[in-house]
Amino acid sequence: MTLAPGTYAFGPADATLTVHTRKGGAAAKAGHDLTIEVTDWSATLTLADDPAASALELTADANSLTVREGHGGMMALGDEETASIEQSMRDEVLKGTPIAYRSSRVAANGDDTLHVDGELELNGRRAPVAFDLSVADGRLRGAATVTQTAFGMKPYSALFGTLKVLDDVRVEVDAALPQGDTDG
Amino acid sequence: MVELDHAFATGPDTWATITDLERVIPCVEGGRVIEAVSPQEAKAEIVVKMGAMSMTFTGTVEIVERDDDAQRAVLKVKSREKGGQGFANADVTFTLNGDGGQLHTAAQITGKAASMGEGVVQSVLDALIKDFTGKLATA
Repeated sequence: MTLAPGTYAFGPADATLTVHTRKGGAAAKAGHDLTIEVTDWSATLTLADDPAASALELTADANSLTVREGHGGMMALGDEETASIEQSMRDEVLKGTPIAYRSSRVAANGDDTLHVDGELELNGRRAPVAFDLSVADGRLRGAATVTQTAFGMKPYSALFGTLKVLDDVRVEVDAALPQGDTDG
Repeated sequence: MVELDHAFATGPDTWATITDLERVIPCVEGGRVIEAVSPQEAKAEIVVKMGAMSMTFTGTVEIVERDDDAQRAVLKVKSREKGGQGFANADVTFTLNGDGGQLHTAAQITGKAASMGEGVVQSVLDALIKDFTGKLATA
């Protein structure tokens, strides 16, 4: 399946943007691996015949991260714990700072993959983040690794540092492509 | 039974802090005095935060041995997990000398906390004690 040249807009209505964290440290058993959904974001993918004219831009609201799942841990996550995690993300980790991605290069890699290079703004800093987007079954999917310390962020820790969120978090996007805009 | 030994820095007031339950208990992160029963005994609780989760232990802290000349004291902690079946007991022995202090902890922990395994309990306790002794020096 090939993505036809054009402009594609994505957001929570037709796509999901999720953040996956993993736990670490000596007391990792006490913590949870989390799936967090960004519920307020928008992205625009512009594909042109000339790759230099192709671009991807994304902005997300740091206050819109919502915990969807928690795996592992000694106890299941309840509503109170979920609310506490969301508050910690807002107040201690992201602090309402802008989240924005702007590509520097979008290149086709075969018929069904786009390779994207660019910069992510997070926690008031910018750092390069690259990833692949694949087109299959009418959907656009991709995953990127974001290293928190590369953006000056201190990964969240508790229990005197024996329970921590690992530095690398995985960000995934899964978007429905508009019908008729692809040749698949 | 988990046994741990720590050396720590002392300040001019450390002995007075250790032997004053209303001062020493808040030096434990999440610890507070609920009621001072006597100068030797206090009802207390500690809330151990594990990120979003937390466990609360309530019980007593008692000074069972105290030698002012040798600057040696033993504090006995007996606590139960609030809303659970577990308990956390410990004998904590402080010995101060001119250069600093030694702390020996012998702890027995059961219930949910212990279900993480002895290695995990030991790591968390070790980190908690290091945090505690750091606060003790400046309390």
